Parts: sequence; structure tokens; C-alpha cells
Amino acid sequence: MVSLTINGKLVRADEGEMLLAVIEREGIDIPSTCNHKAVEPYGACRLCTVEITRKEWEGWKKHVTSCLYPVEEGLIVSTHTEQVIELRKTILDLLLARSPGAKYIQDLAAQFGIMQTSFEEVPDSDDCILCALCTRVCDQMGFHAISTVGRGHGKEVAPPLHEAPPDCVGCLACAQICPTNFIKYTDTGDTRTIWGKTFEMIRCEETGQPTITRAFAEYLSKHRDIPEDYFKLSDSSHRHETALSMGRVAQWERQEKV
Amino acid sequence: MKARFYINPNLCTGCRTCELACSFAHSIGGKPGRSRIYPLSGGAPDLWVPVTCLQCDDAACAKSCLVDAITRNPETGAMDLDQEKCVRCMACVAACPFGCSLFDSSHHLVVKCDLCGGDPVCAHFCPTKALRFEPIRLARETA
Repeated sequence: MVSLTINGKLVRADEGEMLLAVIEREGIDIPSTCNHKAVEPYGACRLCTVEITRKEWEGWKKHVTSCLYPVEEGLIVSTHTEQVIELRKTILDLLLARSPGAKYIQDLAAQFGIMQTSFEEVPDSDDCILCALCTRVCDQMGFHAISTVGRGHGKEVAPPLHEAPPDCVGCLACAQICPTNFIKYTDTGDTRTIWGKTFEMIRCEETGQPTITRAFAEYLSKHRDIPEDYFKLSDSSHRHETALSMGRVAQWERQEKV
Repeated sequence: MKARFYINPNLCTGCRTCELACSFAHSIGGKPGRSRIYPLSGGAPDLWVPVTCLQCDDAACAKSCLVDAITRNPETGAMDLDQEKCVRCMACVAACPFGCSLFDSSHHLVVKCDLCGGDPVCAHFCPTKALRFEPIRLARETA
């Protein structure tokens, strides 16, 4: 256990914990767009920047991204100083110039009083803010189908060589985690298309309801030891099957009583 | 305290009070959530089976979760789903052989029974005691 001061309040934290986790646990609201509990911290957006200092630093202080900064004994953290807020405003101003159409960024910037970017908007802008949540969650799940490619202005999220990714199974985790809903996919019922690759959907044998892609089910059977039969039915058909089999047991009990 | 969740289909009348109780107990911001319990027909007249998560020992939902969002809660014994970790890939919804991992489309969340954190609301509301949540009295405690 280490003890540190956050906004004048003494708090305790486990060793190795990141500052952002402790700040959130204390109920202090600071913005962060690239943080998610399912993946390792990354420090892409820099919005969770806070000011830190120590007694022995004699007035010196520095700004760090709290998602990547492990807690230390005797640290003095301020989350809402004038400078920190100014920093966040600049970052949001820049993000708004990059993705002026993203509602998520518009809302976040509006909280800081920025309705319009003061920079020149990026020509042919898109809603991707390069938080890399999609690529990190894909890596975390063990697929490694997409990654960030290029540098500087040309940096983007894409499958290898901009071709249909061979390792993608169509789980949609990247599209679900994307804060700006930039990653698009189409579900027709029989097929699902994402990243230029089309997958066959499994349909429930009884109701015909599509569940997950066949490729994903095969991956789960092979690597996670889930019997393939489990994927034949949708969740509602599974519940009806469960009710029928438990009902049979209940009927034996009834007959015994008669 | 160790407790056990009892489901007795022969006492169930299919009134679906448990479903209502569950839905309201899991509302977010005043909006009711999807019920985690479903009284369904057991294949005979007047036979209803309340189907809910059985908190399996070797749970398919936890095995299928690629980000380890579903873990056993040591206090309640339930398999808890961490909403902040879940990436909504639907692996657990497809993998559960009892169909008790559900997708709540109104809140856009994957949900499952968490035994209400150790005090299931459905058991409180069941008028016929088809659902019961009772502490297990071990033999050495009663002696």
C-alpha cells in the first residue's frame, strides 16, 4: 500500500496501480478517450493529464498522463489546475480539428466550452481519433487482425496491406469499442462484412436467428474448449431447451407424489 | 455466509413477477433493464420453469470471454460480468448452453444474473416460493 494526496485528500492505493484508476475510484471525473479496462493503458489521447509534485521538489511540478503513471508514495496530484484544464482544452481543440464530425468529440469539447475548433480543419477529415482502442482490443483478444499503419498525417487504422485481414473472425469488438463509431460493418443476417472481409453467420437451427460468425465460433471451439454443439442454437432457443429438460425432471417429481 | 439459490418448477405458476422484479432491480437511470430470469413452459400443462443463470463451476461464458470480463465473485459465488471490461463481442451469449447470457438491447449491454450482489430480488418477490435463496447450514454449525 502507498499513500498519496489527490486534490488535497489523502488516499491509499495498491502498489503498481495507475493514477487514473485511483482518481476514478475517488469519484473525480477527468476525461479520457483511449482508456478501457479490457486493455493495457496506452496514453494516446493525453486528456487524462494531471499535475504532480512532491514535497522535496520545492515547488517544481510536472504534467503526466495519469493512465500511464504508477502511484508513488508521497505524490501530490492535482487534477483540475488552470494549466491542466488549458492543456485539455488544447487537446480537444486539436481533436475537433481532426474529427469535426465526431459527435463524441463535439460533446466532450462542449463540456470544456469549445464549440468550434480554433485550428484549420483537416481536409477530408474522418471520425477516427487514433485512440487505438480497436487495435489494442484485437491484440488483447488474440487476433492481431488490424493495426495502426503509417505515420504523422498518414497514420490510420487498417488491416495489413489494406487487404481483407486473414486473422479477423468478425467478432465486432473493434466496432463496439470505438468511441466515435467510426468502424463500419454490415450485417445482412446470412453474412457480416467488416474490414472488407465477408463472414458466414451461424443461424439458430430452430428459429433461424443469426448469432455469431462461423469463424468466431470455430476459434472459440478450438482455443477456448467450447463444444461446437453449443453454437447451434440461439440464446432464446437454449433457454427453451433448458426449460424443457428441467421440466422433465419436475414431472418425475409430480408423478412420485401422485 | 454460504447460501444456495433454489428453483422449484413445481411451485412456479408462471406469473412472471420475478421477471418484473429483475427488470426493475437492474434498471439504469430509471430505464428498466432486461430481465435475467425467464419463466418458460416446461413441456406440460401448468408446468413452468424459471430459467436463469446456474452459475456453473466450469462456466462456458467465462471460458469464451477473451478479455476475462466474467469472473467468479468470491463473496456471492456468482459469475460476475464486469461491464467496464466487456467489449460486447457476444461470445458468451452464443456459448452459454443454457442461454442465460443475454444482450440487453435497450442499454446496449451484455447482461447475466449476478444474484443481485448476494440477495436476489426475484426470490423476495416470488409469491409461491418457487424461487428461494437460503443460507446453507453446515452440519458442524448446527451441532
